[in-house]
Amino acid sequence: MRIATNAYTDSMLSQFNSLASQQYTLQNQVSTGLSVQAPSDNPTAMANTLNYLSNQSTQTQYTANITTLQTRATNVDSVLQSLQTISSRAGEIATSAGSPTNSQSDLNNYADEVNQLINQVVNAANTKDPSTGKYLFGGTASGSAPFTTTTDANGDVTGVTYNGNSSVNQAQIGAGLTASADIPGANTSGTGPRGLITDSASGADFLNHLISLRDNLTSGNTTAITNTDSANLQKDENNIAYQVANNGVIQNQLTTAASFASSNSTSLSQMISNSSSADLMNTMVQLNQAQTSYQAALQSGAKIMQLSLLNYIQ
Amino acid sequence: MLGLFGTLNMAARSLQTQMTGVEVAGQNLANVNTPGYSRQVVKIAASADIGTTVGAEGTGASVTGIQQIVSSLLNAQIQTQGGTSGYWNAQQTILQNAQNGLDEFLNGSGATPSASTTSSSTTDSGLSGQLTSLFNAFSSLAASPSTSSQQAVIGAAQQLATTFNQISGQLGAAQTAANTTVSTDVASANKLLTSIASLNKQIATAQFSGGTANDLLDQREQALESLSALTNITTSTGANGAVNVNINGQTLITGNTLTDTLQTYTGANGNLLVQTAGGGADLTLTSGSIQGTIDARDGELTTMQNQVDAFASNLISAVNTVHDSGYNSAGGNGNNFFTGTNAATIGVNSALANNPGLIQISSSPTNGGDTSLALQLSQLAGTTQTALNSQTFGSYYDATVAGLGNALSNANTQVTNQTTVSNMLQTQLGSVSGVNTDEEMTNLMMFQRAYEASAQVVTTLNTMMGDTLAMKTS
Repeated sequence: MRIATNAYTDSMLSQFNSLASQQYTLQNQVSTGLSVQAPSDNPTAMANTLNYLSNQSTQTQYTANITTLQTRATNVDSVLQSLQTISSRAGEIATSAGSPTNSQSDLNNYADEVNQLINQVVNAANTKDPSTGKYLFGGTASGSAPFTTTTDANGDVTGVTYNGNSSVNQAQIGAGLTASADIPGANTSGTGPRGLITDSASGADFLNHLISLRDNLTSGNTTAITNTDSANLQKDENNIAYQVANNGVIQNQLTTAASFASSNSTSLSQMISNSSSADLMNTMVQLNQAQTSYQAALQSGAKIMQLSLLNYIQ
Repeated sequence: MLGLFGTLNMAARSLQTQMTGVEVAGQNLANVNTPGYSRQVVKIAASADIGTTVGAEGTGASVTGIQQIVSSLLNAQIQTQGGTSGYWNAQQTILQNAQNGLDEFLNGSGATPSASTTSSSTTDSGLSGQLTSLFNAFSSLAASPSTSSQQAVIGAAQQLATTFNQISGQLGAAQTAANTTVSTDVASANKLLTSIASLNKQIATAQFSGGTANDLLDQREQALESLSALTNITTSTGANGAVNVNINGQTLITGNTLTDTLQTYTGANGNLLVQTAGGGADLTLTSGSIQGTIDARDGELTTMQNQVDAFASNLISAVNTVHDSGYNSAGGNGNNFFTGTNAATIGVNSALANNPGLIQISSSPTNGGDTSLALQLSQLAGTTQTALNSQTFGSYYDATVAGLGNALSNANTQVTNQTTVSNMLQTQLGSVSGVNTDEEMTNLMMFQRAYEASAQVVTTLNTMMGDTLAMKTS
């Protein structure tokens, strides 16, 4: 075949271009670690990778939500522990006060202690979540403290009002899975999450039962203490025990959800890697091949370009 | 018998003949780098002989023509090929623009030693990632309704809205760029039509007086090649070697006359169309960069714009529907979350942007701490949208990205293939019409030696004539 002189330069230029662009692509893959960067590189892999990335980011969010709920559940748990202590002390007082050997002055001492317990319960029920600054036991109402009290001339609590509601906020902890670490302060509807202090389903009404105990201690009505208050306080203790157990269940659920999100995230990483990552070994070998070809093309090109009949005409 | 003078004449003609050979070799060498130049060869034939009593006696040689070596078959193939190349190159440019405008790229921070390494550093900076960020921010707000969570939601929404605006702007700019490209291409095509008509005339004039207009023919071939890269054309050879050009049966050049030119106009549906400027006849172009640009502009680019707009408007209405049914923590309501109707106009309501506390995520005016609507908003991520082909927001957008990727990937492959074919045809044409310097140098030497030899004949005859004259004087 007859070859035009410029055919050399033309084909060399296009070969150099093609080899240079191969090297550019491969070098880029090595330095970024990605075989797919733009949608046109591999449209299907790109769409899959975007989907996996979005899914992974959602798993990360689940993990963040779980951590938030776990912190809140721990806060709730410490309040529950102190309420449990108060509740068992109140039960002890009710039992001891029922004994006929007690004088009225003994009963008055007990009444003073119960007053302190009432204040402790009110403080505990008005605990705020340190991270959001919102009340832990106000349900989904916001603003004022969940429990406000009315006091008599001596500063003793005579009545309690609940300002919250009986709903709780749910947070997403997995695909189609929500959870809540909140406990409403009171639930008098008989349905939904059980109230912390007042709960009509279990008959708990801790603060009012404590007020009744104190009033009966002050008035020396030990019969009422033995017949009514002890039983009522037992219901409160059972309710708090239920809440402690429930909190444990929620924490377990959160731990399970966290490990699920984490293993999902790991397998998504694997899938992202499979669909978009460059295999370093393979890419390096290809890059070496391209470099060798480039070198060979340059060398042979330079040699051919120097040669012509002109070199031999004297 | 030629005799002394006859032979001297023959030698002089031979000098001229060999000189022409040197001239043609020189011309070829001079044009070795001229695009579209077809090499020329000098045709030499023995002159008519003279009958003598001892037989026919030659009278030397003379140049009968300077011939251009061309292959009309290859030229026709290159024209067709040029049209296909032009079409895909134009598509590639527009779609590349659109892909850059979409700005959906993966970023990585280094290769992993093997595919089995599970830690992935791949990130995505585009709309897809930002959409997930917004839904995640809502999810976070549901879990922990703090002021910083509210600000995070507004921040994510603003970033998403800005990206939407940018993408819409970039796609709009790509469309404007396509309009400019088409009008430039149409202007170039019209200029080429004018010059082809004028070359037809010059060639006819040159050939009428008996010459061959080799270089003008090369120029016209070049012009036809350039024209077919812009639009598909059909050519036929008319009287006096003129090339008649028509598109879709609409005559643009007959003989030396430019009968019509091209122009674009916008159709009823906003599509760009091409028609003849004078006759107003609609043209259906099948190849060339004009149609390539138009197809990309009115095809994939418009589809992209529509899909991004549909995505934005459905997101706006889905988020607003949930958000507007709710109340802020103070029990107030009446603020939209998003403003605007499409990708170009989407924005976060400035009232919320200035005061994130006004976000309406409570389902009841009295339960200010309720976050159930934030949960609902975050769950929009997994909700299929009837208006978006029953896909979720994320998968709809992923499909949009993949659609553009497929179109560009196809254009890239076509361009690569066409380049290979084009290079092959050019090499083939080069092997017929291209100049080879070695060959021309050989020809040069051949004619030089022949010239030297003929000059020697002249010298010999001169000596012989001197000898003849000396016979009288001596």
